[in-house]
Amino acid sequence: MAEAGAEQVRSILAAAGASGSWDWDIAADALRIDTRFAELYGLEPESAVGDLPTATFFAAIHPADRPRIRIAVAGMLAGAERFSKEFRVLAPDGSTLWMHGRGQAHLDENDAPVRFTGLLIDVTERKRTEERLRIAQSAGGVGTFEYSDGFATATVSTEFCQLLGLHPAAVLPVRTINSVLCDGEPLLLPQPGSDSIGDTLDAVFRIVRNDDGSHRWIARRGEVVREGSGYRLIGVIYDVTAAKEQEAKLRELADTLEMRVQQEVAERREAEEALRQAQKMEAVGQLTGGIAHDFNNLLTVIIGNIDTVVRRMDMEHDPRMRRSLENALKGAERAASLTQRLLAFSRRQPLEPKTIDIARVLTGMSDLLTRSITETIAIRIDTDAELWKVEVDPHQLENAILNLAVNARDAMPSGGGLTIEARNVEVQDARPGGCLPGAYVVVSVTDSGTGMSPETVAKVFDPFFTTKEVGKGTGLGLSMVYGFVKQSGGHITIDSAEGRGTAVRLYLARKQQDVLLEIEERRPSARMGNADETILVVEDDDDVRAYTVGILRELGYQVVEAQDGDGALRLLGGHDVGATLLLTDVVMPRMSGPELASRAKALHPELRVLFTSGYTRDAIMRDDRLDPDVDLLSKPFTYATLAAKVRELLDRGH
Amino acid sequence: MIRDSVTLGELERDALTEIVNIGVGRAASSLRKMIGDQVTLSVPAIDIVSQRRAARLISEREAAELVAVRQDFDGAFAGRALLIFPESNSLELVRAVTGESLSAEDLAEMEREALTETGNVILNSCLATIANMLKRSLAMTIPEVLHGNSAALFEIENAEDEDGLVLFLYIDFAVRKRDIRGYIAMIMDIPSLEKLKELLDEFIARVVGDDG
Repeated sequence: MAEAGAEQVRSILAAAGASGSWDWDIAADALRIDTRFAELYGLEPESAVGDLPTATFFAAIHPADRPRIRIAVAGMLAGAERFSKEFRVLAPDGSTLWMHGRGQAHLDENDAPVRFTGLLIDVTERKRTEERLRIAQSAGGVGTFEYSDGFATATVSTEFCQLLGLHPAAVLPVRTINSVLCDGEPLLLPQPGSDSIGDTLDAVFRIVRNDDGSHRWIARRGEVVREGSGYRLIGVIYDVTAAKEQEAKLRELADTLEMRVQQEVAERREAEEALRQAQKMEAVGQLTGGIAHDFNNLLTVIIGNIDTVVRRMDMEHDPRMRRSLENALKGAERAASLTQRLLAFSRRQPLEPKTIDIARVLTGMSDLLTRSITETIAIRIDTDAELWKVEVDPHQLENAILNLAVNARDAMPSGGGLTIEARNVEVQDARPGGCLPGAYVVVSVTDSGTGMSPETVAKVFDPFFTTKEVGKGTGLGLSMVYGFVKQSGGHITIDSAEGRGTAVRLYLARKQQDVLLEIEERRPSARMGNADETILVVEDDDDVRAYTVGILRELGYQVVEAQDGDGALRLLGGHDVGATLLLTDVVMPRMSGPELASRAKALHPELRVLFTSGYTRDAIMRDDRLDPDVDLLSKPFTYATLAAKVRELLDRGH
Repeated sequence: MIRDSVTLGELERDALTEIVNIGVGRAASSLRKMIGDQVTLSVPAIDIVSQRRAARLISEREAAELVAVRQDFDGAFAGRALLIFPESNSLELVRAVTGESLSAEDLAEMEREALTETGNVILNSCLATIANMLKRSLAMTIPEVLHGNSAALFEIENAEDEDGLVLFLYIDFAVRKRDIRGYIAMIMDIPSLEKLKELLDEFIARVVGDDG
């Protein structure tokens, strides 16, 4: 009966996967085992029926596991309640099996342990799976954890500990796990008082590894298993530092790329704006230059003829007519100065650059400035002590400065301060539409006046743009300054803000060779000619030619005329014409003045040449400046200026 | 440094964990009888840390004020045992021990008594088990209830230059339907810890025998 019962228990245990059971009688100090236990331990089957020494329990346990199990069993014998240990058993066939021993103490009424019973369950398969899992974890760098709501500790894998740089343990205090987190990071595992857990464990954390102090990124993935009112967290962690770093690098690259593109676009826009501005100025310059050229011819005729009438008529008899003619002449001269400014803007005025000291120019201008500027405005002129020399046309520079000073005055109707400074400046970096790097003398004219809006500043160099009342300004002042500075190879900037005044700066390139030429004053005076001096006048404009020829004849010269280059060369080729001076227009159809001059010189090397021009850009200018060897008379010229220039050339000799 | 030299080997740690688990196992069954509800206590980890570190370990985890039951022990080795709860937990524990029927007023009145009793059960179980297993005897003082922060409990203020060591046991408390957690700390000086280590080695030699 008992035998049948035992058999039934055995089959139940076998079905449950048990590999054996034991009953440790503490009081009797004896061990009883079943046949499966005996088989596992390699004992005779009959061992299963009698009492065995308790030491038998440890006999087949792997030596490495034995001390641990002995300690645990000692605990049971001393009153511990539960036994749950895994250990290896060396089976009789030589194989090693993993067993999970689960047992419990049976206490007497005094809570003293009397029996210790339990089962051995073969967990070799599970152990192998665990082994594979462990290898997968360590190979994949994945650490696992399991945490039950409300506990202060979590069950973790070795890899988990290693990822965080913690000493490997199966169980870690939650606090210890969370202690590796960087400040401000959410908790890796919940601690008492922390926020309730969400539905997912997916998150990334920054940590400082406990062992080597390195900063790492750790990803957490897993599931929240709800169990009644509580929950369990089961998940894994793995290192994502490399990915994070890559990501950061990419982001930085993307960020700087965006910045670089923006910078590039801004630069391009600036360059385009500068180009557009330059093109606009160029186009307007072409237009105004063309108009001015034609105007000059007309004005030459008007002025010349009025001039002639005034000189020839006996004015004493008709003062009214004289006044009218003088008024007409004044008007024409004003028109001529206007066209002069247009030419200046269009950079087609003939410049006569000289090496000058701007400090001396400014000193020389102080009287003029004081007279031009009202007393309510304080003028201050300040220059660097060792100012570099520049090479510009001194008259045009004076003109430009005066122009700026007058503009400044007009911007300060109720008084203020005007500062004119000249400074040595080294420009280091080129900017689109800006000054090229190099050494400059910067002349700045600064006022404390009303200033201008950005919209106004953008248009301020445009010809005929004026902020002054109709009739008060020509709108050419700043355009002229602009043209002059550009033509002189310089640069101009304007800084202005409404209510904060305006500063205009002229950048004039330093002249390295500091040989200072004295500014020679030229006073035109009408000096007569001789009949043995023959002048060949070549001019395609009939009126201008007639006027010019008239003056020269009046002055006593022998004059021959031609209306183009071919005619002139024909005359020069004839033996009856012994011309001393060739007076030729620069711009003519078919053959230009300079071409004519060089071919004429080939025929008559002694021939002197004087060019006349409304503008001189086309052929006579090199590098936008007058060739030093070339003599030029600007149109419109008067009787006096023509007389003086012709005389000067003839008297110069060779 | 000498004080850092007291570290437990793997078997020593196993043995001590086993021994303390027997102790808390007994404590759990005693509590079970008191509360009449399922109580599970286990000691998953043991650390030896400095007093300051122990104070920090707790203060990092527990922002609130703490309650501790303190018992000094003397004998083969001497020290001071602390059972520490967050203060908010203590009433919960008292309620668990005394039943639901008490008013808040009565509860507060009962608190000291209930805590003393609970602390006594747990600390006594642990200390007595350790002493018993190590075949030594320990004399224990009557338990005291302390309130304060972790620094106060670990008497850091009074131990300016002498930073003693603490055998720090995390205990997972699981009392069904109750949010209760706690810690056991045993403050011992180095000679006492050395003595404990020695006794653990004796214990291991005894139970493991030739297999050691």
